[in-house]
Amino acid sequence: MNQRMPQDNNVVIQSLTQIGNCGLFLLTLLAAIPRSLRYIRETIRQLWFVGAMSLTIIMVCGLFVGMVLMLQLYHVLSIFGGTSASGMVVALSVYRELGPVVTALLFAGRAGTSITAEIGLMRATDQIDAMELMAVDPIAYVATPRFLAGLIAMPLLTCVFCAMAILGGHLVGVTWLGIDNGTFWSNMTAEVDLHTDIVNGVLFKSLAFGAVVSLIAVFQGFATPPTSEGVARATTRTVVASSIAILALDFVLTAFLM
Amino acid sequence: MSQQRSSYAVGTGLFIVFGFAALAYLATQTTSIANVHQGASYTVEAHFANIGQLKDRAPVKIAGVRVGQVQSITLEPGREVADVKLSIDKAYDKIPLDSVATIYTSGLLGDQYIGIQYGNSKKTVADGGTLVLTKPAQQLEEMLGKFFGAGGVADNLGGTYTVWARFTNVGSLSVGAPVKMAGVAIGSVQSIQADPVKLDAKVTLAIDKRYNQIPDDSSAAVFTSGLIGTQFVAIQPGGSPDALKNGDEMILTQSAMQLEDLIGKFLVNGSSSDSKAAGNGKSSDTTPGKH
Repeated sequence: MNQRMPQDNNVVIQSLTQIGNCGLFLLTLLAAIPRSLRYIRETIRQLWFVGAMSLTIIMVCGLFVGMVLMLQLYHVLSIFGGTSASGMVVALSVYRELGPVVTALLFAGRAGTSITAEIGLMRATDQIDAMELMAVDPIAYVATPRFLAGLIAMPLLTCVFCAMAILGGHLVGVTWLGIDNGTFWSNMTAEVDLHTDIVNGVLFKSLAFGAVVSLIAVFQGFATPPTSEGVARATTRTVVASSIAILALDFVLTAFLM
Repeated sequence: MSQQRSSYAVGTGLFIVFGFAALAYLATQTTSIANVHQGASYTVEAHFANIGQLKDRAPVKIAGVRVGQVQSITLEPGREVADVKLSIDKAYDKIPLDSVATIYTSGLLGDQYIGIQYGNSKKTVADGGTLVLTKPAQQLEEMLGKFFGAGGVADNLGGTYTVWARFTNVGSLSVGAPVKMAGVAIGSVQSIQADPVKLDAKVTLAIDKRYNQIPDDSSAAVFTSGLIGTQFVAIQPGGSPDALKNGDEMILTQSAMQLEDLIGKFLVNGSSSDSKAAGNGKSSDTTPGKH
C-alpha cells in the first residue's frame, strides 16, 4: 500500500491520495491493536520516549506561556480595571485553546519527528522487510505501539502543560504584579467548569490531537522513500502536516464543543 | 536487557502518575473550592441578607488591608440568610465584638470583598464567634432593577408561537436574544427588520407555547442584563382577559434605553433605593418596574 506513490503530479490529486492512504493506514493501525497487545512492553517503551522524555520541554514551555499570557492580560485588563479577572482568563484560555494546541505543536516537533525519522530509517535500512520475513507484523510491532503511546501521552502532557501555565500565571500575576492571591484563585474556580473546560477543552481536544499527530508521524514514517533525502522530507512533512491538522481540527472541535 | 526494560517501565509509570497528578491538580485546585493553605487563622461567622457576587476565598479586609478570606458561604437552613464563614489571620485577633462586616465591591465591575469596621466594644470576637452587625451587598442589579432585567439565556424551546412588536430603537438587540417575563426566559427574538415605511424596527418574538396566557395588552421592552450585558426583550404582563395569539402585534413597547439615559435616571433616583437596599435587602424586590 505504501509503495504506491502517486503518479499524478496534480497537487490536489496528490494530497487527496495522501489523505486517503492516511485514512486506510489508520484502519490498519486500529485493526492491529489486538495483535499489538503482545508487544505491550514496546508500547510502554514508546510511552517513555514520546511522553516522559517530552516532559521537560512541555513544562518549560507551559510555564512561559502562562507567564507571558498573564503579563499581556494584566496590561490589557488594567485599562478596564479588571485585573482581578486575569487569573480566570489565563485559566480559560489555557484550558480551552493554548494548552491542547501548543502541547500538540510541541509534541509534533519533539515526538512526531523522531517517530517518523525512526520508522523512516527502519525502512531505509530494510528493518521493516526483515521483520516481515521473520513473521513479525511491522504494523503491530512498530506502528500501533507508537500510535497508542502518542494517544496516551498527549492528554497527560497537556495536563502538565496547563498546570505549569497556571503556575506561571500565578507567579507573574500574584508574586510580581500583585494580584490578590485569593482573588486569583476564587475567580478561577468560579469560572472554570469541570466539564466544558477540563473534560471537553483539555482532555477531549488533546486526545484528538494526540491521535492525529501520532497517526501522521507513523504514516509518514511508513511512507518514507528509503533514502536519506526521503527521511529528511518525511520528517519535514510530519511537522507541516501535523501543524496544519492540529490547527484545523482545533477550529472544528471548538465549533462543535462550544 | 530486562533491567533496561524495567527502568523504562518505572520512568513511564512515573510519567503517567505525574500526568494524572497534573490532571487532579487542574480538576480540584482550579475548578472546585479548595482551601489555600495559609498561616494560623481563626473562624468568624457573619450573616448577610444578601451576599451579591461574593465568592469563596474572597478577601476580608480591615481598613483596606487584607486580613483573611471567605472560607465558606452557605444558606442558613430555613431562613433567607447567607451564612458566611470568615477565616481571619491569628495576628488580627483583637476585632471588637460590635464591629460591622460589610460587603463591598472594588470598583464598578470589580470583585466583592468583606470589609470590617471596628466597633467600640472592649470584648473581642473569639474563634467561632459571630459578627452580629452586617451590611448586605449593595446590589447594583437591584438598584437598577427598574430599568434592567435579570441575566440568563433562553432554553431550548419546543413549540413556539410568534408575536411581533414595533420599537423606535432596538439598541444592540440581536436575533436569538432571550425574551423574558418576570426575568425568566420564555422565548427568543426571531427576526429584527427595519420597516421601510414607518421607519421603526419590527421585531418578531418566538415564545414558547407553554406561555400562551400572556395578556394581549402586555408591553414589550428592550432591557440590558447588567451594566454591560447583552440586551433582551422583557414582557410586562398587562391586565387584559384575552391572551396573545400567533401573529399578534404587541402594541405597547418601550425601546432600548441608552446607557447615558439610564445613568442619568439612576443618579436622580439612586439615593432613595440606595438607602432601601442598605436597610432591608428585600424591600427593593417589591418595587414595581415603573420608570
